[in-house]
Amino acid sequence: MTYEQSLQQLETIVRKMEAGEYSIDELTEQLKTAQKLIAQCKARLTKTDEDIQKLLEN
Amino acid sequence: MSPKSYTLLQLNSLVRMAVERTLTGEYWVEAELAECRERGGHCYMELVQKEEAHSATSRSRQDGTLVARASAKCWRSQWALLQPYFERIAQQPLRAGLKVKLKVYPQFHEAYGFSWIVTDIDPTFTLGDMARRRQEIIDQLKQEGVFDLQKDLQLPLFCQRIAVISSESAAGYGDFVNQLADNGRDLRFVTRLFPAIMQGEQVEQSVIDALNRIFAEADQWDCVVIIRGGGATSDLSGFDTLALAENVAQFPLPIITGIGHDRDESILDMVSHQRVKTPTAAAALLVSHLGQVLDRVLQAEERVARYALQRMEVERLRLSRLAERIPVLFSLVRTRHEARLDRLAQTMTAVLRQRIDRENTRLQTFGTQLFTMADRRLLQERHRLELLQQRATALDPALLLQRGYSITLVNGRALRRPADAPPGTVVETRLAEGTLHSQVINTPLTPSKQ
Repeated sequence: MTYEQSLQQLETIVRKMEAGEYSIDELTEQLKTAQKLIAQCKARLTKTDEDIQKLLEN
Repeated sequence: MSPKSYTLLQLNSLVRMAVERTLTGEYWVEAELAECRERGGHCYMELVQKEEAHSATSRSRQDGTLVARASAKCWRSQWALLQPYFERIAQQPLRAGLKVKLKVYPQFHEAYGFSWIVTDIDPTFTLGDMARRRQEIIDQLKQEGVFDLQKDLQLPLFCQRIAVISSESAAGYGDFVNQLADNGRDLRFVTRLFPAIMQGEQVEQSVIDALNRIFAEADQWDCVVIIRGGGATSDLSGFDTLALAENVAQFPLPIITGIGHDRDESILDMVSHQRVKTPTAAAALLVSHLGQVLDRVLQAEERVARYALQRMEVERLRLSRLAERIPVLFSLVRTRHEARLDRLAQTMTAVLRQRIDRENTRLQTFGTQLFTMADRRLLQERHRLELLQQRATALDPALLLQRGYSITLVNGRALRRPADAPPGTVVETRLAEGTLHSQVINTPLTPSKQ
């Protein structure tokens, strides 16, 4: 999954939460998914940053 | 008797005596040399006079009608002085076709006939005549508008294909080819010899023929070089003719002349694109020309390379500046994205907290409502009970009796209609404080309204 796709999915989850579209039972599962997506996105940003540094050093 | 006759010797002796007696001095004579040759150190000449033609070009001059002719001799002792003198001043040997001014005395020899004996020569006369003839040719070329045509041509930048007109045997051609080959700069030339006679009477036609052969393949050549070895005193008169000058002047390729002399320019030199003194100098000119072109090419090459290097350096700097900005830019992007992710996380947390709070509130509300509703219900019931109690209390007969009301009973039952107690009926009246008995006297016919 690309960074954009992850971000879109994340935003969808947040929007649905705000709109109250999830039942209480679903919330925990969605929150877990959201946290996982956030972690993925941040890791992707960090990796990109490192890659850029490496490439420029070369 | 036959008339007196003489031996030839006797008669010739008479002629000799007549000549020696009548022509005693020396004379300056102007004539044209029809022939001139050296033998045994003596110089033998044929002097002629031709009828002057109107057009004074070299061609028509030779066509004049002969009007006088005589032999002339220069003895060895005199010739040894006159020959170098003439050649030094006139820059050429005495030869057929020249006009000369000679100091002579007559000699008639019984065995060899008549001759003028040359004792002096005036080279300036020859020079003057040649100069006049040259000037006539020059004037005519200018009149024809061809004199400067070659000067308007330009040597091609890459002037490498050289058509050479020279004599095969001349050292000059070898010098020229060697000089071109050993140019020290590795410049390449292609040369081809178009052989021609470079001396004497046939020069004109021979060189014109060579030019025609080159013209037939003019697109294969960049320029023409006419060269000739030999010393400064060589016979150059063949190059001073109108026809040759016309051919050279109007030739489509630039012509370089190097015909080996260094005082006066020949007409060929004047009309050619460039003149140099020697074949070697002609080669040097071509080498220098191509060398300059090579220099230009090399300079251009250097400038291109320098420019390219500078440009690459500039671009490299630009790139490295851009590259330096990339991490900064990306860190901005990263910060922005991280902030966005954080906001999303916060939003989620907030939303969840709100949601939980709301649900809690709802639950609490339900709890509160339950109590309230129960209370209210109890109150309502209590109130109802009170009302019922009040109503019940209001109905107690004792209270009515207390307030003065009474109950009339007949046979133990409450009397509601007078009709139920006919006169004479004993009724029991209960009061608050006790019971009294009484007898009904009458009964009204119409029941009173209650």
